[in-house]
Amino acid sequence: MRHAAVVTQFIIEEFLPDVAASELEPDYDLVDGGVIDSLGLLKTIAWLEDRFDLRVEEIDLDPDSFRTVASISRFIEQAQPLRTDSL
Amino acid sequence: MTQQQSLVGSFLAHATGHPGDPALVWRGEETTYRGLLRLAERERVRIARLALNADEPIGIPAAKSPATIALVLACLLEGRRFLLLPAPTPEGGASHALVERAGIRHVLSPERPEEPGPGSVPGPAAEDGPAEPRAPYRTQPADVSFLFTTSGSTGQPKIVPLTTGAVDRFTTWAGERFGIRRGTTVLNHAPLTFDLCLLDIWTTLKHGGRVVLVDPARATQAGHLLDLVSRHAVQLVQAVPMFYRLLVDAAAADGRRLDTVEHVVFTGDSLPARCLAELPRLFPRARLYNVYGCTETNDSFLHEVDGTEPADGPVPIGRPLPGVHAVIVGADGGIVTGPGTGELHVATPFQTDGYLDRAQDAGRFATHHHDGRARRYFRSGDLVRRDRDGRITLEGRNDHQVKVRGVRVNTHEVEQVLLDHPEVVEAAVVAVPDPVAGRLLRSVARRAPGSRLNSLTLRRHCAQRLPLTAVPSTLLIVDGPLPRTSTGKIDRAHVERACSPTQPTEGTATCDTPR
Repeated sequence: MRHAAVVTQFIIEEFLPDVAASELEPDYDLVDGGVIDSLGLLKTIAWLEDRFDLRVEEIDLDPDSFRTVASISRFIEQAQPLRTDSL
Repeated sequence: MTQQQSLVGSFLAHATGHPGDPALVWRGEETTYRGLLRLAERERVRIARLALNADEPIGIPAAKSPATIALVLACLLEGRRFLLLPAPTPEGGASHALVERAGIRHVLSPERPEEPGPGSVPGPAAEDGPAEPRAPYRTQPADVSFLFTTSGSTGQPKIVPLTTGAVDRFTTWAGERFGIRRGTTVLNHAPLTFDLCLLDIWTTLKHGGRVVLVDPARATQAGHLLDLVSRHAVQLVQAVPMFYRLLVDAAAADGRRLDTVEHVVFTGDSLPARCLAELPRLFPRARLYNVYGCTETNDSFLHEVDGTEPADGPVPIGRPLPGVHAVIVGADGGIVTGPGTGELHVATPFQTDGYLDRAQDAGRFATHHHDGRARRYFRSGDLVRRDRDGRITLEGRNDHQVKVRGVRVNTHEVEQVLLDHPEVVEAAVVAVPDPVAGRLLRSVARRAPGSRLNSLTLRRHCAQRLPLTAVPSTLLIVDGPLPRTSTGKIDRAHVERACSPTQPTEGTATCDTPR
């Protein structure tokens, strides 16, 4: 969960500009909540690639990996297990 | 139906027969039929002095007042067509363009707009003297009187001429349907430019009733509106859904009831089911009607609320009025008989013969041979569904159908979902071009005063009721009113510009800054 804060900040800026970061719980379901749809998913992945230097073919596109701030954070950790300097 | 009496003839007969009856209430002051006729007679002299060509319209700035209504009556008495000009928009120029396109050379404002009534009229006309009017100009039923404009929410406003015959037939129907007679008190909420005034002002003056005029400056002050209806014992209310939402919310707080009201007419837009459910409490003695019409056809369908309405969908528009013919044209261009969905085409006894600029008629009118006769129908552009029992329900606009990432989405439906949230007062959804998605839905919602609604909550509300592709990509929440056109519809073109991708997502010049 060490990426949770930066993921939350991205989701807020991109999809919920009027919401305070503290109002978005790490386990809030972003898909059921209408925050991220398929286009939002693509945007999020593009941001992950850019921000964390991941490559798209390395990514397993299971939408469940992107349902919550917590799962996105876990995904980042698993995708770059050897890196410690990403923040 | 009784004999078609002319609007102006009946008004004159009442003003002569019952000159002391109240005709208008404006800012707490009454104007009698005598007073109104006097004002109109004076304006006739000014109109007669203008060297007008045969079909040349007069422009009248539509500032609401007894004096402006007298000026309209003067045009009717003189057999002159006229166009009520909306107040200029902040962007300016709209009225000017209308004046030019209508071929108007003379824009007349009332002679003494601030003069309250006949008491201060100088000159020989004694207050209690006989109200012996000059005979009205003899018009033919095919002569044009009112010129209205369409809302222009989806393009440039079009000018819609109505003949005296159409207006006479409508005011006769409406008077009978809602029991408007001598002494009936009717609320007028709409601006004078709205065709709604044909019912609440002009039908009432034709039948000897009294019109309580709502000051446009206070038209959204719920407390004021409630007071006005109570104080003047209003019997008939006609207004757009926003009016009822405001009243219902305000009255819920103090449990107030408006028990003088006998008829409640809502029109112009879909009334959310949640609001409909509250109306019987606010108007415990009233019959409730959903009336559907277009500027081009006037009122065309009516549904009296009877408790069979769906709890979660829009209120049906019901069935055609007497003399109205309607067909549903399916996607294949054929007429849908029986249950089905398609575009509503309407032919009414009250409709226009065509736009002032006849070039604009193309594609808007269609001739159908139906019920054994060929008629000219207006293509409403509204998508409707007919149930097995023949009842018709509005599904949205033809141009509300958009494709978002290959999926057909009805923006009207998305708006209704937003409006179903208890803290949303107004909402607009537009589809804007997007280089990635093709089209994206953008929306603006105005939350109720004091509400702390945010997009997290509103998105979840949408996601629970809509497919994910129909949840707007941008959801702007504002506290100020949404931009509206001169005829009171939400100005989608304006919203679209304000929500265009080149604008920042948060706050624009027209949509208040979100929290």
